Amino acid sequence: MEKYFDINYLWTALPQLLPYLWITLFVAALAVIFGSLLGLIIAVFKLSKNKFLSFLANSYITIMRCTPSIVLLFLVYYGIPAFSERFFGIYLQDVHTGVFVVITFSLQFAAMMAEVIRSAYLSIDKGQYEAAVSVGLTPFQSYARIIFPQAVVVALPNFGNGLISVLQEGALAYTIGFIDIVGKANLIIANNYNTHALEIYIALAVFYWVLSVAIAKIFGKLEKVFSKGQRTLKTS
Amino acid sequence: MDSSFINMEFLIDTFFVALSGVPIALLVTVVALLIAMPIGFFLALSRITEVPIVNGFTKVYVSFVRGTPIIIQIFVLYSILPLILAGIFERYNIDFPIYDVNPLWYAFIIFSFNTAAVLVEVFRSALKTVHAGQLEAAYSVGLTTAQAYRRIVIPQMLVSAMPNLCTATINLIKATSLGYAISLQEITLKAKVAANVGYNYLEAYIDIFIVYLILCITVEYLFKVFEKRLSRYKAVATA
Repeated sequence: MEKYFDINYLWTALPQLLPYLWITLFVAALAVIFGSLLGLIIAVFKLSKNKFLSFLANSYITIMRCTPSIVLLFLVYYGIPAFSERFFGIYLQDVHTGVFVVITFSLQFAAMMAEVIRSAYLSIDKGQYEAAVSVGLTPFQSYARIIFPQAVVVALPNFGNGLISVLQEGALAYTIGFIDIVGKANLIIANNYNTHALEIYIALAVFYWVLSVAIAKIFGKLEKVFSKGQRTLKTS
Repeated sequence: MDSSFINMEFLIDTFFVALSGVPIALLVTVVALLIAMPIGFFLALSRITEVPIVNGFTKVYVSFVRGTPIIIQIFVLYSILPLILAGIFERYNIDFPIYDVNPLWYAFIIFSFNTAAVLVEVFRSALKTVHAGQLEAAYSVGLTTAQAYRRIVIPQMLVSAMPNLCTATINLIKATSLGYAISLQEITLKAKVAANVGYNYLEAYIDIFIVYLILCITVEYLFKVFEKRLSRYKAVATA
Protein backbone atom coordinates (compact mmCIF):
# COMPACT_ATOMS: atom_id res chain seq x y z
CA MET A 1 0.00 0.00 0.00
CA GLU A 2 1.22 3.47 -0.79
CA LYS A 3 2.24 5.52 2.14
CA TYR A 4 -0.01 8.56 2.45
CA PHE A 5 2.02 10.46 4.95
CA ASP A 6 5.80 10.47 4.75
CA ILE A 7 7.58 12.59 7.33
CA ASN A 8 10.76 12.58 5.21
CA TYR A 9 9.15 15.01 2.80
CA LEU A 10 8.80 17.44 5.65
CA TRP A 11 12.52 17.36 6.40
CA THR A 12 13.49 17.76 2.77
CA ALA A 13 11.02 20.60 2.32
CA LEU A 14 12.31 22.74 5.18
CA PRO A 15 15.73 23.58 3.64
CA GLN A 16 14.09 24.19 0.27
CA LEU A 17 11.62 26.63 1.77
CA LEU A 18 14.02 28.46 4.05
CA PRO A 19 15.57 30.79 1.40
CA TYR A 20 12.08 31.95 0.45
CA LEU A 21 11.29 32.85 4.02
CA TRP A 22 13.44 35.96 3.54
CA ILE A 23 11.26 37.07 0.65
CA THR A 24 8.18 36.72 2.84
CA LEU A 25 9.87 38.66 5.63
CA PHE A 26 11.22 41.32 3.26
CA VAL A 27 7.78 41.99 1.79
CA ALA A 28 6.27 42.15 5.27
CA ALA A 29 9.00 44.56 6.40
CA LEU A 30 8.41 46.89 3.43
CA ALA A 31 4.66 46.77 4.05
CA VAL A 32 5.25 47.64 7.69
CA ILE A 33 7.45 50.64 6.82
CA PHE A 34 5.18 52.11 4.14
CA GLY A 35 2.06 51.13 6.04
CA SER A 36 3.22 52.84 9.22
CA LEU A 37 3.96 56.07 7.36
CA LEU A 38 0.59 56.04 5.61
CA GLY A 39 -1.08 55.01 8.87
CA LEU A 40 0.43 58.02 10.61
CA ILE A 41 -1.03 60.32 7.96
CA ILE A 42 -4.44 58.67 8.25
CA ALA A 43 -4.33 58.91 12.04
CA VAL A 44 -3.55 62.63 11.77
CA PHE A 45 -6.50 63.00 9.37
CA LYS A 46 -8.78 61.12 11.72
CA LEU A 47 -7.76 63.22 14.70
CA SER A 48 -8.04 66.49 12.80
CA LYS A 49 -10.92 68.83 13.49
CA ASN A 50 -11.60 69.12 9.78
CA LYS A 51 -14.77 67.07 9.25
CA PHE A 52 -13.93 66.18 5.68
CA LEU A 53 -10.49 64.84 6.57
CA SER A 54 -11.76 62.74 9.47
CA PHE A 55 -14.58 61.41 7.26
CA LEU A 56 -11.98 60.46 4.66
CA ALA A 57 -9.88 58.66 7.28
CA ASN A 58 -12.90 56.88 8.75
CA SER A 59 -14.07 55.69 5.34
CA TYR A 60 -10.62 54.42 4.51
CA ILE A 61 -10.39 52.46 7.75
CA THR A 62 -13.87 50.97 7.37
CA ILE A 63 -13.25 49.95 3.77
CA MET A 64 -9.95 48.29 4.64
CA ARG A 65 -11.47 46.50 7.60
CA CYS A 66 -14.27 45.13 5.42
CA THR A 67 -12.21 43.95 2.47
CA PRO A 68 -10.73 40.46 2.54
CA SER A 69 -6.99 40.56 1.79
CA ILE A 70 -7.37 38.39 -1.26
CA VAL A 71 -9.93 40.76 -2.78
CA LEU A 72 -7.75 43.78 -2.06
CA LEU A 73 -4.76 41.97 -3.52
CA PHE A 74 -6.53 41.30 -6.81
CA LEU A 75 -8.07 44.78 -6.92
CA VAL A 76 -4.58 46.25 -6.68
CA TYR A 77 -3.09 43.71 -9.05
CA TYR A 78 -5.66 44.23 -11.80
CA GLY A 79 -6.81 47.71 -10.90
CA ILE A 80 -3.59 49.73 -10.76
CA PRO A 81 -2.24 48.66 -14.18
CA ALA A 82 -5.66 49.11 -15.83
CA PHE A 83 -6.08 52.49 -14.19
CA SER A 84 -2.65 53.80 -15.11
CA GLU A 85 -2.99 52.52 -18.66
CA ARG A 86 -6.37 54.12 -19.18
CA PHE A 87 -5.75 57.49 -17.58
CA PHE A 88 -2.02 58.04 -17.85
CA GLY A 89 -1.08 55.78 -20.73
CA ILE A 90 1.58 54.14 -18.60
CA TYR A 91 1.99 50.42 -19.09
CA LEU A 92 2.69 48.55 -15.90
CA GLN A 93 2.56 45.01 -17.26
CA ASP A 94 6.24 44.40 -16.59
CA VAL A 95 6.20 45.56 -12.99
CA HIS A 96 7.22 42.83 -10.60
CA THR A 97 4.30 41.21 -8.77
CA GLY A 98 6.15 41.88 -5.53
CA VAL A 99 5.39 45.58 -5.96
CA PHE A 100 1.66 44.91 -5.98
CA VAL A 101 2.01 42.67 -2.95
CA VAL A 102 3.83 45.42 -1.04
CA ILE A 103 1.25 48.03 -2.09
CA THR A 104 -1.66 45.83 -1.00
CA PHE A 105 -0.32 45.00 2.42
CA SER A 106 0.92 48.54 3.00
CA LEU A 107 -2.61 49.79 2.37
CA GLN A 108 -4.01 47.21 4.75
CA PHE A 109 -1.39 47.72 7.43
CA ALA A 110 -1.93 51.49 7.24
CA ALA A 111 -5.56 51.09 8.29
CA MET A 112 -4.54 48.95 11.26
CA MET A 113 -1.78 51.36 12.24
CA ALA A 114 -4.05 54.39 11.95
CA GLU A 115 -6.22 52.96 14.72
CA VAL A 116 -3.21 51.92 16.80
CA ILE A 117 -1.54 55.32 16.50
CA ARG A 118 -4.77 57.16 17.21
CA SER A 119 -5.55 55.20 20.36
CA ALA A 120 -1.95 55.50 21.55
CA TYR A 121 -2.02 59.26 21.01
CA LEU A 122 -5.34 59.64 22.82
CA SER A 123 -4.06 57.60 25.75
CA ILE A 124 -1.43 60.24 26.52
CA ASP A 125 -2.70 62.84 28.93
CA LYS A 126 -3.14 66.29 27.43
CA GLY A 127 -1.32 67.75 30.40
CA GLN A 128 1.89 66.20 29.09
CA TYR A 129 1.79 68.42 26.03
CA GLU A 130 0.80 71.47 28.01
CA ALA A 131 3.59 70.85 30.49
CA ALA A 132 6.09 70.45 27.67
CA VAL A 133 5.02 73.68 26.02
CA SER A 134 4.99 75.50 29.33
CA VAL A 135 8.67 74.70 29.96
CA GLY A 136 9.48 76.29 26.63
CA LEU A 137 9.56 73.44 24.13
CA THR A 138 8.19 74.17 20.70
CA PRO A 139 5.07 72.17 19.72
CA PHE A 140 7.21 69.99 17.44
CA GLN A 141 9.72 69.35 20.20
CA SER A 142 7.02 68.44 22.69
CA TYR A 143 5.54 65.94 20.25
CA ALA A 144 8.92 64.48 19.37
CA ARG A 145 10.34 64.33 22.89
CA ILE A 146 7.39 64.01 25.22
CA ILE A 147 4.31 62.63 23.46
CA PHE A 148 5.92 60.30 20.92
CA PRO A 149 8.10 58.24 23.31
CA GLN A 150 5.15 57.64 25.62
CA ALA A 151 2.74 56.83 22.80
CA VAL A 152 5.18 54.30 21.36
CA VAL A 153 5.07 52.29 24.58
CA VAL A 154 1.27 52.24 24.53
CA ALA A 155 1.19 51.28 20.86
CA LEU A 156 3.73 48.48 21.20
CA PRO A 157 1.44 45.47 21.87
CA ASN A 158 -0.99 46.45 19.12
CA PHE A 159 1.88 47.08 16.75
CA GLY A 160 3.12 43.55 17.46
CA ASN A 161 -0.31 42.12 16.69
CA GLY A 162 -0.42 44.12 13.47
CA LEU A 163 2.99 42.79 12.52
CA ILE A 164 1.86 39.20 13.02
CA SER A 165 -1.31 39.78 11.05
CA VAL A 166 0.45 41.44 8.10
CA LEU A 167 2.88 38.53 8.01
CA GLN A 168 0.00 36.05 7.95
CA GLU A 169 -2.09 37.91 5.40
CA GLY A 170 1.04 37.99 3.27
CA ALA A 171 0.61 34.24 2.84
CA LEU A 172 -1.98 35.07 0.17
CA ALA A 173 0.57 36.74 -2.10
CA TYR A 174 1.02 33.45 -3.93
CA THR A 175 -2.44 33.90 -5.48
CA ILE A 176 -1.12 36.56 -7.88
CA GLY A 177 1.91 34.45 -8.73
CA PHE A 178 4.37 35.89 -6.26
CA ILE A 179 6.96 33.32 -5.25
CA ASP A 180 7.39 33.68 -1.54
CA ILE A 181 7.45 30.82 0.93
CA VAL A 182 3.88 29.76 0.14
CA GLY A 183 4.43 30.12 -3.60
CA LYS A 184 7.55 27.98 -3.37
CA ALA A 185 5.64 25.39 -1.34
CA ASN A 186 3.02 25.15 -4.07
CA LEU A 187 5.77 24.77 -6.68
CA ILE A 188 7.31 21.91 -4.70
CA ILE A 189 3.91 20.23 -4.48
CA ALA A 190 3.37 20.65 -8.20
CA ASN A 191 6.79 19.07 -8.81
CA ASN A 192 5.70 16.09 -6.71
CA TYR A 193 2.67 15.65 -8.96
CA ASN A 194 0.42 16.95 -6.18
CA THR A 195 1.33 14.16 -3.81
CA HIS A 196 2.58 14.71 -0.29
CA ALA A 197 1.04 18.14 -0.15
CA LEU A 198 0.22 17.67 3.51
CA GLU A 199 3.85 17.37 4.58
CA ILE A 200 4.77 20.58 2.75
CA TYR A 201 1.82 22.43 4.22
CA ILE A 202 2.77 21.28 7.70
CA ALA A 203 6.28 22.61 7.07
CA LEU A 204 4.73 25.96 6.09
CA ALA A 205 2.55 25.98 9.19
CA VAL A 206 5.62 25.34 11.33
CA PHE A 207 7.45 28.30 9.77
CA TYR A 208 4.60 30.68 10.39
CA TRP A 209 3.90 29.34 13.85
CA VAL A 210 7.50 29.76 14.99
CA LEU A 211 7.70 33.25 13.50
CA SER A 212 4.45 34.42 15.09
CA VAL A 213 5.34 33.05 18.50
CA ALA A 214 8.78 34.65 18.25
CA ILE A 215 7.33 38.05 17.34
CA ALA A 216 4.80 37.81 20.17
CA LYS A 217 7.59 36.91 22.62
CA ILE A 218 9.84 39.75 21.46
CA PHE A 219 7.08 42.31 21.80
CA GLY A 220 6.13 40.93 25.21
CA LYS A 221 9.74 41.44 26.32
CA LEU A 222 9.95 44.93 24.80
CA GLU A 223 6.76 45.92 26.54
CA LYS A 224 8.11 44.73 29.85
CA VAL A 225 11.37 46.63 29.36
CA PHE A 226 9.58 49.87 28.55
CA SER A 227 6.89 49.64 31.18
CA LYS A 228 9.56 48.99 33.79
CA GLY A 229 11.00 52.41 33.02
CA GLN A 230 7.59 53.91 33.42
CA ARG A 231 7.14 52.52 36.90
CA THR A 232 10.47 53.92 38.14
CA LEU A 233 9.50 57.28 36.71
CA LYS A 234 6.28 57.23 38.65
CA THR A 235 7.84 56.27 41.97
CA SER A 236 10.79 58.64 41.75
CA MET B 1 -6.61 46.52 -26.04
CA ASP B 2 -8.65 49.58 -26.82
CA SER B 3 -11.76 48.49 -24.96
CA SER B 4 -13.01 50.78 -22.26
CA PHE B 5 -11.60 50.78 -18.75
CA ILE B 6 -14.57 49.08 -17.14
CA ASN B 7 -17.16 46.91 -18.80
CA MET B 8 -20.29 48.35 -17.20
CA GLU B 9 -22.66 45.66 -18.38
CA PHE B 10 -20.46 42.92 -17.02
CA LEU B 11 -19.99 44.86 -13.80
CA ILE B 12 -23.73 44.97 -13.17
CA ASP B 13 -24.42 41.37 -14.24
CA THR B 14 -21.63 39.97 -12.13
CA PHE B 15 -22.71 41.97 -9.12
CA PHE B 16 -25.75 39.70 -8.89
CA VAL B 17 -23.58 36.64 -9.43
CA ALA B 18 -21.43 37.72 -6.50
CA LEU B 19 -24.57 38.48 -4.49
CA SER B 20 -25.81 34.93 -5.10
CA GLY B 21 -22.79 33.69 -3.15
CA VAL B 22 -23.84 35.59 -0.04
CA PRO B 23 -26.15 32.86 1.36
CA ILE B 24 -23.32 30.30 1.32
CA ALA B 25 -20.89 32.74 2.91
CA LEU B 26 -23.41 33.61 5.62
CA LEU B 27 -24.37 29.97 6.16
CA VAL B 28 -20.74 29.03 6.73
CA THR B 29 -20.30 32.02 9.03
CA VAL B 30 -23.39 31.25 11.12
CA VAL B 31 -22.76 27.50 11.40
CA ALA B 32 -19.09 28.07 12.28
CA LEU B 33 -20.09 30.59 14.96
CA LEU B 34 -22.76 28.27 16.40
CA ILE B 35 -20.29 25.39 16.63
CA ALA B 36 -17.39 27.53 17.81
CA MET B 37 -19.20 29.51 20.52
CA PRO B 38 -19.87 26.67 22.99
CA ILE B 39 -16.46 25.11 22.31
CA GLY B 40 -14.75 28.47 22.71
CA PHE B 41 -16.66 29.21 25.88
CA PHE B 42 -15.86 25.92 27.60
CA LEU B 43 -12.22 26.04 26.58
CA ALA B 44 -12.04 29.61 27.89
CA LEU B 45 -13.53 28.42 31.18
CA SER B 46 -10.97 25.63 31.32
CA ARG B 47 -8.21 28.19 30.80
CA ILE B 48 -9.50 30.35 33.63
CA THR B 49 -10.18 27.51 36.07
CA GLU B 50 -6.93 25.84 34.92
CA VAL B 51 -8.30 22.37 34.29
CA PRO B 52 -5.05 20.33 34.09
CA ILE B 53 -4.78 18.73 30.63
CA VAL B 54 -7.41 20.75 28.80
CA ASN B 55 -5.69 23.99 29.76
CA GLY B 56 -2.42 22.94 28.16
CA PHE B 57 -4.14 21.61 25.08
CA THR B 58 -6.10 24.83 24.68
CA LYS B 59 -2.94 26.91 24.98
CA VAL B 60 -1.28 25.02 22.13
CA TYR B 61 -4.45 25.01 20.02
CA VAL B 62 -4.99 28.76 20.37
CA SER B 63 -1.31 29.46 19.76
CA PHE B 64 -1.40 27.38 16.56
CA VAL B 65 -4.51 29.02 15.15
CA ARG B 66 -3.31 32.51 16.00
CA GLY B 67 0.19 31.73 14.79
CA THR B 68 -0.60 30.43 11.31
CA PRO B 69 -2.39 32.07 8.37
CA ILE B 70 -5.94 30.85 7.77
CA ILE B 71 -5.06 29.79 4.23
CA ILE B 72 -2.39 27.45 5.62
CA GLN B 73 -4.90 26.05 8.13
CA ILE B 74 -7.26 25.41 5.24
CA PHE B 75 -4.49 23.69 3.25
CA VAL B 76 -3.51 21.49 6.18
CA LEU B 77 -7.02 20.56 7.32
CA TYR B 78 -8.26 20.02 3.79
CA SER B 79 -5.47 17.52 3.15
CA ILE B 80 -5.52 15.88 6.56
CA LEU B 81 -9.27 15.47 7.10
CA PRO B 82 -9.87 13.09 4.17
CA LEU B 83 -6.89 11.00 5.31
CA ILE B 84 -8.24 10.68 8.84
CA LEU B 85 -11.78 10.01 7.69
CA ALA B 86 -10.59 7.44 5.15
CA GLY B 87 -8.71 5.66 7.91
CA ILE B 88 -11.75 5.61 10.18
CA PHE B 89 -14.13 4.47 7.50
CA GLU B 90 -11.75 1.78 6.34
CA ARG B 91 -11.38 0.40 9.83
CA TYR B 92 -15.12 0.14 10.39
CA ASN B 93 -15.85 -0.95 6.85
CA ILE B 94 -18.13 1.96 6.17
CA ASP B 95 -18.61 2.52 2.48
CA PHE B 96 -18.56 6.27 2.18
CA PRO B 97 -17.27 8.33 -0.73
CA ILE B 98 -15.08 10.82 1.15
CA TYR B 99 -13.79 12.49 -1.95
CA ASP B 100 -17.27 13.40 -3.16
CA VAL B 101 -18.25 15.24 0.00
CA ASN B 102 -19.71 18.68 -0.52
CA PRO B 103 -16.98 21.22 0.30
CA LEU B 104 -19.54 22.92 2.52
CA TRP B 105 -18.92 20.29 5.20
CA TYR B 106 -15.20 20.90 5.07
CA ALA B 107 -15.87 24.62 5.30
CA PHE B 108 -17.94 24.09 8.45
CA ILE B 109 -15.18 22.08 10.09
CA ILE B 110 -12.30 24.31 9.01
CA PHE B 111 -13.89 27.61 9.93
CA SER B 112 -15.23 26.25 13.23
CA PHE B 113 -11.74 25.03 14.05
CA ASN B 114 -10.38 28.50 13.38
CA THR B 115 -13.14 30.51 15.04
CA ALA B 116 -13.29 28.40 18.21
CA ALA B 117 -9.68 29.32 18.96
CA VAL B 118 -10.35 33.00 18.33
CA LEU B 119 -13.39 32.85 20.61
CA VAL B 120 -11.41 31.22 23.42
CA GLU B 121 -9.43 34.43 23.73
CA VAL B 122 -12.51 36.61 23.29
CA PHE B 123 -14.43 34.80 26.02
CA ARG B 124 -11.43 34.52 28.28
CA SER B 125 -10.88 38.26 28.36
CA ALA B 126 -14.64 38.81 28.69
CA LEU B 127 -14.94 36.37 31.59
CA LYS B 128 -12.16 38.22 33.36
CA THR B 129 -14.20 41.41 33.31
CA VAL B 130 -16.93 39.77 35.40
CA HIS B 131 -16.13 40.29 39.05
CA ALA B 132 -15.50 37.10 41.05
CA GLY B 133 -17.96 38.37 43.67
CA GLN B 134 -20.77 37.93 41.16
CA LEU B 135 -20.32 34.18 41.14
CA GLU B 136 -19.95 34.04 44.92
CA ALA B 137 -23.09 36.13 45.37
CA ALA B 138 -24.96 33.80 43.02
CA TYR B 139 -23.85 30.79 45.07
CA SER B 140 -24.78 32.47 48.32
CA VAL B 141 -28.37 32.95 47.20
CA GLY B 142 -28.51 29.23 46.40
CA LEU B 143 -27.99 29.06 42.63
CA THR B 144 -26.25 26.00 41.23
CA THR B 145 -23.08 26.52 39.15
CA ALA B 146 -24.99 26.06 35.89
CA GLN B 147 -27.66 28.51 36.97
CA ALA B 148 -25.10 31.01 38.19
CA TYR B 149 -23.32 31.00 34.85
CA ARG B 150 -26.48 31.06 32.78
CA ARG B 151 -28.22 33.83 34.66
CA ILE B 152 -25.45 35.89 36.22
CA VAL B 153 -22.07 35.45 34.59
CA ILE B 154 -22.84 34.88 30.90
CA PRO B 155 -25.22 37.83 30.43
CA GLN B 156 -22.61 40.19 31.87
CA MET B 157 -19.78 38.55 29.99
CA LEU B 158 -21.57 38.83 26.66
CA VAL B 159 -21.77 42.61 26.91
CA SER B 160 -18.02 43.01 27.17
CA ALA B 161 -17.46 40.25 24.61
CA MET B 162 -19.65 41.94 21.99
CA PRO B 163 -17.10 44.24 20.31
CA ASN B 164 -14.57 41.42 19.98
CA LEU B 165 -17.29 39.03 18.87
CA CYS B 166 -18.17 41.53 16.14
CA THR B 167 -14.56 41.67 14.98
CA ALA B 168 -14.38 37.87 15.01
CA THR B 169 -17.56 37.64 12.92
CA ILE B 170 -16.30 40.17 10.39
CA ASN B 171 -13.00 38.32 10.14
CA LEU B 172 -14.89 35.07 9.66
CA ILE B 173 -16.97 36.53 6.83
CA LYS B 174 -13.78 37.82 5.24
CA ALA B 175 -12.11 34.46 5.71
CA THR B 176 -14.86 32.68 3.78
CA SER B 177 -13.39 34.41 0.72
CA LEU B 178 -10.64 31.80 0.99
CA GLY B 179 -13.25 29.12 0.32
CA TYR B 180 -11.92 29.01 -3.24
CA ALA B 181 -9.14 26.76 -1.91
CA ILE B 182 -11.72 24.06 -1.16
CA SER B 183 -13.91 25.04 -4.15
CA LEU B 184 -16.67 26.38 -1.96
CA GLN B 185 -19.22 28.21 -4.10
CA GLU B 186 -19.15 31.52 -2.25
CA ILE B 187 -18.96 35.16 -3.27
CA THR B 188 -15.36 35.31 -4.50
CA LEU B 189 -15.29 32.04 -6.39
CA LYS B 190 -18.62 32.64 -8.13
CA ALA B 191 -17.63 36.07 -9.38
CA LYS B 192 -14.17 34.86 -10.38
CA VAL B 193 -15.62 32.00 -12.42
CA ALA B 194 -17.92 34.47 -14.18
CA ALA B 195 -14.87 36.61 -14.97
CA ASN B 196 -12.91 33.69 -16.42
CA VAL B 197 -14.91 33.82 -19.65
CA GLY B 198 -13.87 37.28 -20.81
CA TYR B 199 -10.96 38.08 -18.50
CA ASN B 200 -13.06 40.74 -16.75
CA TYR B 201 -11.23 40.23 -13.50
CA LEU B 202 -11.13 43.86 -12.47
CA GLU B 203 -14.91 44.21 -12.74
CA ALA B 204 -15.43 40.94 -10.90
CA TYR B 205 -13.24 42.02 -8.02
CA ILE B 206 -14.93 45.41 -7.82
CA ASP B 207 -18.23 43.53 -7.45
CA ILE B 208 -16.82 41.22 -4.81
CA PHE B 209 -15.41 44.23 -2.99
CA ILE B 210 -18.79 45.98 -2.94
CA VAL B 211 -20.61 42.86 -1.75
CA TYR B 212 -18.22 42.37 1.18
CA LEU B 213 -18.44 46.04 2.05
CA ILE B 214 -22.24 45.87 2.23
CA LEU B 215 -22.14 42.63 4.23
CA CYS B 216 -19.60 43.93 6.68
CA ILE B 217 -21.27 47.28 7.31
CA THR B 218 -24.61 45.52 7.85
CA VAL B 219 -23.12 43.06 10.33
CA GLU B 220 -21.36 45.85 12.21
CA TYR B 221 -24.63 47.78 12.43
CA LEU B 222 -26.53 44.72 13.71
CA PHE B 223 -23.91 44.09 16.36
CA LYS B 224 -24.15 47.69 17.52
CA VAL B 225 -27.92 47.39 17.90
CA PHE B 226 -27.58 44.07 19.70
CA GLU B 227 -24.90 45.42 22.02
CA LYS B 228 -27.17 48.28 23.02
CA ARG B 229 -29.95 45.81 23.80
CA LEU B 230 -27.66 43.61 25.88
CA SER B 231 -26.29 46.49 27.93
CA ARG B 232 -29.76 47.73 28.88
CA TYR B 233 -29.21 46.75 32.48
CA LYS B 234 -26.26 49.11 32.67
CA ALA B 235 -28.38 52.06 31.67
CA VAL B 236 -30.87 51.19 34.43
CA ALA B 237 -28.10 50.93 36.98
CA THR B 238 -26.68 54.35 36.23
CA ALA B 239 -30.05 56.08 36.04
